[in-house]
Amino acid sequence: MPGGRSPRFGPLGFIIGFVQAQTQQPSQIARGAVIAAQGTPTGAPPCSQCHAFNGVSDASGAFPRIAGQSAYYLAKQLRDFASGVRTSALMTPIAKALALSSDNIADVAAYYASLDAPFLPLNPPDPALVKRGEQLAKIGSDKQRVQACDNCHGPEGAGEPPAIPYLAGQYAHYIDFTLDTWRTGFRKSSPESMEVVAKKLDDQDLAAVAAYYQQVRGSGDVGAPQ
Amino acid sequence: MATLLKPVDVVTIGVGLTGSLAALELGQAGLKVVGLERGSGRETVPDFQSPPIHDELRFAIRKAFMQDNAKVAVTFRNASDQTALPIRRWESFLPGQGPGGSFVHWNGQSFRAQVADFIWRTHTIQRYGQKFLDSCGPELTIQDWGVTYDDMEPYYARFENLCGVSGKAGNIKGQIQPGGNPLEAPRSGEYPNPPQKEPHFGAIFRKGAESLGYHPYPQPSSNLSRAYTNPLGIKMETCIFCGFCERFACPHYAKASPQTIILPVLLQDPNYELPALCEVLRINLDSTRKKATGVTYVDDTGQEFEQPTELVLITAFPLNNVRTLLLSGIGEPYDPKTGNGVVGRNYSYQTTGGPTIFMDESINVNPFMASGACGTMIDDFSGDNFDHSNLGFIGGQYVGAIMTNGRPIEFHPTPTGTPTWGLEWKQAVARHYNHTILVQQHGTSASSRLNYLDLDPMYKDAWGQPLLRMTFDFPENDIRMSQYIADKVVEIGRAMGGKQIIRGGTKRPYSVTFYQSTHNAGGAIMGDDPKTSAVNQYLQCWNVPNVFSLGASAFPQNITYNYSITIGALTLWALDAIKNKYLKSPGPLVHS
Repeated sequence: MPGGRSPRFGPLGFIIGFVQAQTQQPSQIARGAVIAAQGTPTGAPPCSQCHAFNGVSDASGAFPRIAGQSAYYLAKQLRDFASGVRTSALMTPIAKALALSSDNIADVAAYYASLDAPFLPLNPPDPALVKRGEQLAKIGSDKQRVQACDNCHGPEGAGEPPAIPYLAGQYAHYIDFTLDTWRTGFRKSSPESMEVVAKKLDDQDLAAVAAYYQQVRGSGDVGAPQ
Repeated sequence: MATLLKPVDVVTIGVGLTGSLAALELGQAGLKVVGLERGSGRETVPDFQSPPIHDELRFAIRKAFMQDNAKVAVTFRNASDQTALPIRRWESFLPGQGPGGSFVHWNGQSFRAQVADFIWRTHTIQRYGQKFLDSCGPELTIQDWGVTYDDMEPYYARFENLCGVSGKAGNIKGQIQPGGNPLEAPRSGEYPNPPQKEPHFGAIFRKGAESLGYHPYPQPSSNLSRAYTNPLGIKMETCIFCGFCERFACPHYAKASPQTIILPVLLQDPNYELPALCEVLRINLDSTRKKATGVTYVDDTGQEFEQPTELVLITAFPLNNVRTLLLSGIGEPYDPKTGNGVVGRNYSYQTTGGPTIFMDESINVNPFMASGACGTMIDDFSGDNFDHSNLGFIGGQYVGAIMTNGRPIEFHPTPTGTPTWGLEWKQAVARHYNHTILVQQHGTSASSRLNYLDLDPMYKDAWGQPLLRMTFDFPENDIRMSQYIADKVVEIGRAMGGKQIIRGGTKRPYSVTFYQSTHNAGGAIMGDDPKTSAVNQYLQCWNVPNVFSLGASAFPQNITYNYSITIGALTLWALDAIKNKYLKSPGPLVHS
């Protein structure tokens, strides 16, 4: 629940923290900030145009919140966009332009991972939808043979960095849309876990899970970079 | 006074791996089956979901899924001249409780036995001579099973398909396959799924073992490498390497267990009934003592019921199979003084315990990123895969980097000489946590006339019935075997680049105070002679033909490997005989 501290395993947290601290050098973050602000000479536009300089994007939910997302995860998505494993009319050309210089992706991922940004004010969601979403997120559904989302995405969707992204506070529209891309087979990255789950969910389930995670705020100390 | 219930066709005593499989097969054959299970119901959703299922204190330390030993314990002693005491905290082995049994909290390590395992006595005498076997220990009582690997092969394949075992075949119909285990028994086909990904610790082991000329291969796993639909139409998912297999239950529908591979279909069967919280007290026999009439059990309110039935299948944890036979007066109890009697005879265990290998701190092992069966291993020292002529022992062990977890309470590798508490201990744990590889040695346990199970003369359970008494110590043969292999594994550890190695190997006396293995075997063993076996080759009681005792209690001695897949195969083998032979003409399937 918002405000509560999620329990973490000491050694695990220590190691992940260590790995992140190792990979995100201050100079790397600074270089990434420049890319976010003004794009690259290789033709990538500034990330901030859609994702905002602080990584919260905008309230339309057309673009995901990426502030504080794990650097490993962000970099992997960019590489997948560049290689075509994951496709998007918007992101594919941008990622390809970024990938023309080998450090760009790591730099910009490190920058956005380093941010601790506020949440935008949004209209209150439908409480019934949130309740259904919370059930799927925390317990799952025996009838549909769907396990709880939190199993992998961490308590209250806090993320299990480096590989698994946070969902807490992510825009409902983006979660709903992304699950649908797995369900229809459009999204080809991580199909072994996400496509299987998404295909067991109906439209109402997608909307419910999305509505639930959008309003979760978490404790802020989970998955946050060093 | 017991309430008399309406008769049914079949009762299973226990609803774990063997009980759910038996109910499924016999329900599909049109029989009315009741499963009597002492634990309460549990399902993947909601009972196995995270974060609660990852409560290490509750499940791994306090052992929430295990048999309630405040009600029914097992007493233990090393030798028959000692007084046995009840095991009040499960440590050495962990019998499960509740639907799914121990097949819920297992690691998913999914092996077949070898050709020679089923004919161990005959094979040993043929290869090395009777004198050699006698010299390994006059107390050894190893026996042939009464079935062969060839008999079992189709059942292995069927059970592996049910579980969705993920592995790489090394020998298909005699053709050696690259990437698999060249020393395995011939398989009729590939595994249903490819092997799980190899973690870093496995890759390091592979390199070290290969440099010494051994034959590393990916451990076959019932934690699935990809989404899979089993032959019953039940969908399973991909394992995510969360590191909480053994002692826990899988939140992801990714580990084979009755809940993920059998129960969703079985529980839809209108012929099947699974009343909760039923403690079976005994099987009732008629006045001839040669026919079971039913089963008496107590529910959680203390009310007693008598369930009449045509056929009783004892499908409990192996130790409880033996106890049920003893409490019901089925078969002659084993007498260690004379060697006569069969029930309780040839109880065997498993030799375990490998080295801890401390690597350079530049090598990150990430032990927490694991499934229960994602190891890399070799079979060069398994069973009779190496020449024993001049070694003075029989049997062997597999060796492998099989790290199942890096859980914070249980995983604290520290080098020899580290204090066991305090600041220096903490510093050593922090220093070595991510740079330490555990290598397993896991192998045979020869049966001995000194090791057996009987009813304890003093201690009773919550219902006033005698506890099972275990009398066990490793035969010297097994110690020599394990210590010989321990030296070889130290060499592998050095080849892996180990900076410091704590040598492994089994020692005497056997102790129940630290975890070794939940592969308790024997006590109601199978065979072709009623003088030396409790059940025939179809796991049918010799003297009471409408009672079958299914599971590892039938193993005449224990094999090199984790035994669940062999239990599944053996159960399917017995069920085929029940369906195709026994039901057509109830009576003894083998005449003594």
